[in-house]
Amino acid sequence: MKKALILAASLLLACQITGWSQAKKPVIMVVPSDSWCQRNGFVQTVNQSGTTVTMSDYARAMRENADMRTVVSAMGDFMAKNDFPIQSLEQELKRLQTEDAELSMMTGKKSGGEIEETPLERLRRSAKADIILDMDYEIHRIGPKRQVSFNLQAVDAYSSKIISGNTGVGSDSSAPMTTLLEEAVLSFKDNFLSGLQHHFDDLFANGREISITLLRYDSCPIDFEEEFEVNGQDAELAEIIEAWVADNSKEGRFNTAAKSANRIRFNQVRIPLYGKNLNGRDVAIDAEAFARPLVKMLKKAPYNLVVGSAPKGLGEVWITIGDK
Amino acid sequence: MKRIVFFALASVLLLSAAAASAQNKDRRKSFSSWENYEITTEKVGVDGTKFVKVWGFGKNADAAVMAAKKNAVHACIFRGIPGNATAMATPPICSNPDALSANEDYFTNFFAAGGPYLSYITMTTDGIPSGTDKRKVKGGYKVGIYVQVMYDNLKRKLEADGIVRKLSSGF
Repeated sequence: MKKALILAASLLLACQITGWSQAKKPVIMVVPSDSWCQRNGFVQTVNQSGTTVTMSDYARAMRENADMRTVVSAMGDFMAKNDFPIQSLEQELKRLQTEDAELSMMTGKKSGGEIEETPLERLRRSAKADIILDMDYEIHRIGPKRQVSFNLQAVDAYSSKIISGNTGVGSDSSAPMTTLLEEAVLSFKDNFLSGLQHHFDDLFANGREISITLLRYDSCPIDFEEEFEVNGQDAELAEIIEAWVADNSKEGRFNTAAKSANRIRFNQVRIPLYGKNLNGRDVAIDAEAFARPLVKMLKKAPYNLVVGSAPKGLGEVWITIGDK
Repeated sequence: MKRIVFFALASVLLLSAAAASAQNKDRRKSFSSWENYEITTEKVGVDGTKFVKVWGFGKNADAAVMAAKKNAVHACIFRGIPGNATAMATPPICSNPDALSANEDYFTNFFAAGGPYLSYITMTTDGIPSGTDKRKVKGGYKVGIYVQVMYDNLKRKLEADGIVRKLSSGF
């Protein structure tokens, strides 16, 4: 009886440990490339601070173009078979639209108050993915036949690095367009998955690659060039932060992309996939969780700063000093 | 004098016989070697499959066909399949170059005569090929066959047996 209990307890513990040590799954989304949207007329002009900007109209592209829907469905199918379902851009855009409508209608039962949302919070509610599958294809006519040339890039949304790139031309045929597009997807499928696997292997071996940006509000009494005494030496705040990143990144691997009085940016920061939470448990961490001890450090003496932290997905965090 | 001529002739004959035997050994080795086979993608296969033309060597045409089938599965697992003008190259399922030696027992059983590898092959040509796809070479036959490899099923099998990692492993 005792043995059985011990066995059951150890099995439960093993299951829990395995459960806790699962890395955070990146969100993958297929997005029509800007050049595809431009070629097919799915663009909209937006006035941004007096400047007219042409932007891709993804909602209309997904609604009106059956061919793109075929490609997305075919890709969604093989990713789901690999236990990696992709997030639907179309559904995500719909969800955001419904969310907008619901938020504008919501009022407090007793106070009648409205849900508060800053313009920045609203902007951050937009459709986001950790890995963007930038899909482009073109149909060529060869006499009575048609041929599909395709270009698929899997881009890490934070480092903007291409994880897997696939280009090719399908066979010329008079088959229906859907068949030709499905053939194109099947042609690059395994190569694409292999590129993705290579990226994940690298992630598990060398850690997640993230970016950390530190910004200063003008209300902050000090800037990143302010000097403090650390271990008996005077050092600028920027240097102290740089040393923290070096000490805490995996094998000290990071790059200081920008360093000035008001802004510091670290990119290619390799962080471990797992860390400890408040209760000392092993949990999967992202950029924000990695930078949390840095935020705490800046809040304490001798810095005593007001510090804000805003995640931008799994792989990027913005830390502000002087305000939140 | 006669004796000297006799010995000289005998040693020349012995030497050439030894050289021929070594050549035959090399040929036999190359026939059974995993490094020595040709495979090309014919066209994009239906979902989850690869449609390839693969060559095999054997003492007779039947043995060559069996070797070709084995080669097709081997290529999917370890070598990858080169692409063509209208189909992209297929990467190997095992990206680790040491996978074969690291799992020697598993693959010895997998590729044994009548082993599990056969369930991932579908012949697209019936019987023994003829014409240019069946060539008589010294020591046997070289045969080219068109086969459909159940690539996705093969990958799932290797993932389930712990030989390769699943895409979602660790997440």
